[in-house]
Amino acid sequence: MTGALDITNATVPGRLSGVTLRLDAGTMAGLIGPNGSGKSTLLQVASGLLPASGEVRWAGLPLPRIPVLERGRRAAWVPQEARFEFGFTVRSVVAQGRYAHGDDGHGVDEALARLDLTALADRPVNHLSGGERQRVLLARAIATGAPLQLWDEPLAALDPRHALEILLLGNKHTRAGGTLLFSLHDLRMACILDIVVVLHQGRLRAAGIPSEVLTPDLLLEVFGVRAEITPSLSFALPSPSS
Amino acid sequence: MPSHPAIRFALPAALLLLAGLVLASLGMGDMNLSPARTLAGVLRQDELAATVIWNMRLPRLLVAMFIGAALASSGLVMQAYFRNSLASPGLLGVSAGGTAGAVAIIGAGLTAHSLLFLPVASIAGALVATALVIALARRGAGTERLLLAGIALNAMLGAVSSYVLSNATLTYERNAQILFWLLGGLEDRTWEHVKMAAPIAAAAALLWPLGRQMDLLSLGADEAQSLGVDVRRLRRRLLALSTVLTALATAVAGSVGFVGLVVPHLLRLLAGPEHRRLVPLSLIGGAAFVVACDLVGREAGGLRIGIVTAFVGGPFFLWLLRKKT
Repeated sequence: MTGALDITNATVPGRLSGVTLRLDAGTMAGLIGPNGSGKSTLLQVASGLLPASGEVRWAGLPLPRIPVLERGRRAAWVPQEARFEFGFTVRSVVAQGRYAHGDDGHGVDEALARLDLTALADRPVNHLSGGERQRVLLARAIATGAPLQLWDEPLAALDPRHALEILLLGNKHTRAGGTLLFSLHDLRMACILDIVVVLHQGRLRAAGIPSEVLTPDLLLEVFGVRAEITPSLSFALPSPSS
Repeated sequence: MPSHPAIRFALPAALLLLAGLVLASLGMGDMNLSPARTLAGVLRQDELAATVIWNMRLPRLLVAMFIGAALASSGLVMQAYFRNSLASPGLLGVSAGGTAGAVAIIGAGLTAHSLLFLPVASIAGALVATALVIALARRGAGTERLLLAGIALNAMLGAVSSYVLSNATLTYERNAQILFWLLGGLEDRTWEHVKMAAPIAAAAALLWPLGRQMDLLSLGADEAQSLGVDVRRLRRRLLALSTVLTALATAVAGSVGFVGLVVPHLLRLLAGPEHRRLVPLSLIGGAAFVVACDLVGREAGGLRIGIVTAFVGGPFFLWLLRKKT
């Protein structure tokens, strides 16, 4: 049996030490941890962008055995912050997701629609708001059609509605057999995921089902907060008819 | 992909503009030739016109086109590489590196043996400058850092040139030679210079297919890598090509500023940011820009090309800087 993502003993001096993690296909996993705990580093290691000692495998294949172009078809990585110097249109940036497929333009319109960008498709990306830019990068990642999706704080810049839509998008992707690992800060959102991965000072502190992992003791130890379950505000998308 | 009509016609329009400028450049001068007589001269059907064109105006025109294409495309590459639309060979000190290399080799007296020492030394100097700017600025550097690195490099490499020049052991003749070369320009360019510039065409051909990858790189190196671009290889190629392009242009015509900044910028405004279009457009547009500036300089009573491009490009750069901040 091989996982969709297998990380074995990954170490980046000073940032990540001995992380071993395995995600099966169809898993929607959240990566949590305080600032500086190594979340972005782990996502970069998982996507093959940052060399680390140890081993990373995608669907059983060690990364060095996968050519760069092929990697573009197998995994998509979304950075935490989107900085655009040049005025490419939203559509052309999303279409870059098809580079590894010979720029066939396949699924670009669908990705635009899924991220609520159709109306902005011809606008230059350097004139968008932070949240809009984030959605452009997510649309590009979706357009790649890659089964393994690695997103660095995709929800940080988004309003509640779009954040919810991103979660639903991730859900749809993983229900269709894909795998998603994304970092987030909202512990309440982490509770609804399949798997939650906790990093603390560059080490993997825990990984598993949220109800088992997110215990008050762990939250106190890792985040220094006292957790309490209270009735609170919750959101849902209105049904299409309303 | 839907494209604005203006974008679709950009390439034919640029070619048309260049053709017009070529005709004007071959026809205008101390002896003004009508377009018909210019053509006759090119085809060697009019002896006097043929002499003027083939011995004087054509080599000058070709050198102008070569250096324009080289500097503009080199600037385009640097802007994509550093993800900063203010990067250009002049501002980053790459031109100054080429100049320092050339000056050193003239000072050493090697150009008396062969003019080909000039481009080789220029490339070596420009490569050193490129390596330094990479070390100083890092990629995706902010405007401030990039420009400060450029200022430092320009000053350092300018000092190298000054040192060679002020070295008291040099003969008066050699100093004059260096000074003349430092002024740069397109005056008295011969077929020898055209030959020296010809590798620019090869570098341009190697650059041509990299446009799509430059698109991805210009939006972030990690992003490009994750989308399937071999970023390390691409970067090596881009740096080598842009450095060689700048160095060759410098070797042939001295330091000609602002072409690499102005031309890609104007083209981006006119034709959008996609490099598959911008690479050919900057080659053609750069050639057209330098030929036009040369025409202006000639008609203004013999202003050197570097002076004209500086008068056009300097204010443009200041305007850009204001717009950015």
